[in-house]
Amino acid sequence: MSAIDFSDPATIAFLTDALTAAGVAGLEISAPSGQLRIVVSSAGEAKIGSNRSAQPGSVSPVLVRAPLAGYFCVAHRSGSAEVSSLPRAICATDVLGFIRVGPVLLPVSAGRSGTVTKLLAEADAMVGYGAPLFEIEVQS
Amino acid sequence: MIEIVETGPFNTVQDLGRPGYRDIGVSASGAMDPLAVKIGNILVGNAEGAAVLEIQTFPFRLIFKRRSAFVVSGTDGNPLLDGIELLPWYAYNAEVGQVLELKQPPKLARAYVAIGGGVDVPCIMGSRSTSLRGNFGGNAGRPLEKGDRITVGEEAGILPIPASGLGVVEPAVALRAFFPRSAEGSLLIRALPAGEHRLFAGDGEAFWGQTWRISSRSDRTGYRLSGDPVVPMETVEMRSHGVVPGVIQVPPGGEPIVQMSDANTAGGYPKIAGVIECDLWRLGQARIGTRLQFVRSSYAEARAIEQAVASYIEDVRRTSGLIKRALKAMA
Amino acid sequence: MIAPSNSHALQREILSSTKARARVSSIGARSFLLEAPGDFDLAAQRRIWALSQQVKGWSDIAEIIPGMTNILAILKETPEDPDVVVDRLLEAWDNARSIDLKGKTIEIPVHYGGQHATDLPALCDLSGLSDRDVVRIHHEATYRVFALGSAPGFGYLHGLDPRIYMPRKTVPSLRMEKGCVTIGGMQTGVAMLTGPNGWNSIGFAEMQMFDPTSASPAMMAPGDTVRFLPARIEL
Repeated sequence: MSAIDFSDPATIAFLTDALTAAGVAGLEISAPSGQLRIVVSSAGEAKIGSNRSAQPGSVSPVLVRAPLAGYFCVAHRSGSAEVSSLPRAICATDVLGFIRVGPVLLPVSAGRSGTVTKLLAEADAMVGYGAPLFEIEVQS
Repeated sequence: MIEIVETGPFNTVQDLGRPGYRDIGVSASGAMDPLAVKIGNILVGNAEGAAVLEIQTFPFRLIFKRRSAFVVSGTDGNPLLDGIELLPWYAYNAEVGQVLELKQPPKLARAYVAIGGGVDVPCIMGSRSTSLRGNFGGNAGRPLEKGDRITVGEEAGILPIPASGLGVVEPAVALRAFFPRSAEGSLLIRALPAGEHRLFAGDGEAFWGQTWRISSRSDRTGYRLSGDPVVPMETVEMRSHGVVPGVIQVPPGGEPIVQMSDANTAGGYPKIAGVIECDLWRLGQARIGTRLQFVRSSYAEARAIEQAVASYIEDVRRTSGLIKRALKAMA
Repeated sequence: MIAPSNSHALQREILSSTKARARVSSIGARSFLLEAPGDFDLAAQRRIWALSQQVKGWSDIAEIIPGMTNILAILKETPEDPDVVVDRLLEAWDNARSIDLKGKTIEIPVHYGGQHATDLPALCDLSGLSDRDVVRIHHEATYRVFALGSAPGFGYLHGLDPRIYMPRKTVPSLRMEKGCVTIGGMQTGVAMLTGPNGWNSIGFAEMQMFDPTSASPAMMAPGDTVRFLPARIEL
């Protein structure tokens, strides 16, 4: 169990309110016990679903996944059209993209050195928690 | 604790200022870009008015003597942490012994370093701002110097910053609909006519119509503007009266002065206009040499901009808190 | 209601205020300056003191700066309709009754003449008086603090004898010491900061009149009476 009980209706209500207040479309949280997904509809009421964790598939090549639900940004400045060409060598601390929630940006770092070979999400698209964003080939 | 390793002149400790004492002659002081201070503080988890470092001469370097969350806001230059380039407007964690370096930014005038817990200098007359003219407040009433060791407040209760950082879409981008630039790239600063506007010919057209340049005789007290002098049609004997930042006075030479954060509390020159409060931070980020034009504003416009800025700040506060809590729960 | 003791004075003031209305202008979107009509005198300043006390209590006021027969009111928020604020200030001015602030008396020892009295010779030339007379006229008068401003704790003192009025310099002294006893036009005061200053120095006072760490940082307050005591005269 994580520190927060995601099956608690009060927690879900709090998160839903917070998401609505922040203008966030949704949130997905994965924990060993399962997955919580809140999608705030345009009318402001939340649809909540949860399901058992799926078995992870093949791990090669490595995927960089969204650490949070939000809008996927390739560059930190919306409006800047700079998209790096692929494939591209990167190191573990390099920031590959960002998840934007309202005015807040969460950098997505590579997490490992290697070569970025694929961009797996569309720029400015809404992505869910854990959505694959980049594919990295790890140098051996 | 932080220690200043390298600094230019006139870098100071500032917060949102010391208003409320102008009736005893004490300038409000405070950051030239208060919006950058608020956002920086919110991102590290401080109260929005916590004291920060205002850096306006570069290069500047400090060393962290304690693990700290920090943000460099307001600027368009990339800060360096132990030589690694980071982004402005992002909160990061610094380890003990790491060195933060700020180089001359490309376009903007001032960078703000907010640190988790806030810069903890004595609070004097309700503020930690440095009063350079009064020689009190901030870091012993004077600018930062190499070797200064400055205490940072406790970070108790502050939510952790994600390892890869957490930032914002900066105000100039997020609020661009409210802060336009002219087609020629000059800064558009909105203002309202002030007390002696009627003394200037043709409804002040010489003032509103031309592009001014911020002269080199400009600092935190005020900006002197270069251009074709504007001269009132008659000279009036003014009695000394209270003034606030943003007031645009016309001294006998005809080149206007815009009073800024360290504005004197009293003045007696004819006032042609006053910058609306919500545009002052943009002026605070304008460097010497910047070309600017004044645009006549309205109360309705000023209110609309203030509301947009307030809701942006609130949105950053709520969303950054939510994300930090969510990431902490998932960690 | 109207106090009977000085109803004449009151009627005169009401009359003069209807002849020429106060003027309200603005600085930016949140600050409003009310300037009293008529002379620069104690009567007008007493009404400004009364107006200040009233306006300070309004819920939408962030701060007020009383000046020389004027007051700057700084609002917490940009008003929807500035005319409402202007009308409210004008109405408050029209209803402001002259008050006399029961201030304290401050005695300031002064070293007249000497190295800091850089403008005493020029004042003698301007007034046609001897230096001894200038000094005597300055310290024999009783002054009132009209308002504070310009520098931390600096009091604008009213009550200067017209014989020693001296206009401010067109080119300020680049570095005048804190403590210089100065004359600027029809006012006098003690310089609170070392730096550029356009007033004319005739002496020096050691007394500390501002302490930012004190609960009441400024020694002077509007309405205070100030007397200068000639501690030393060096001519």
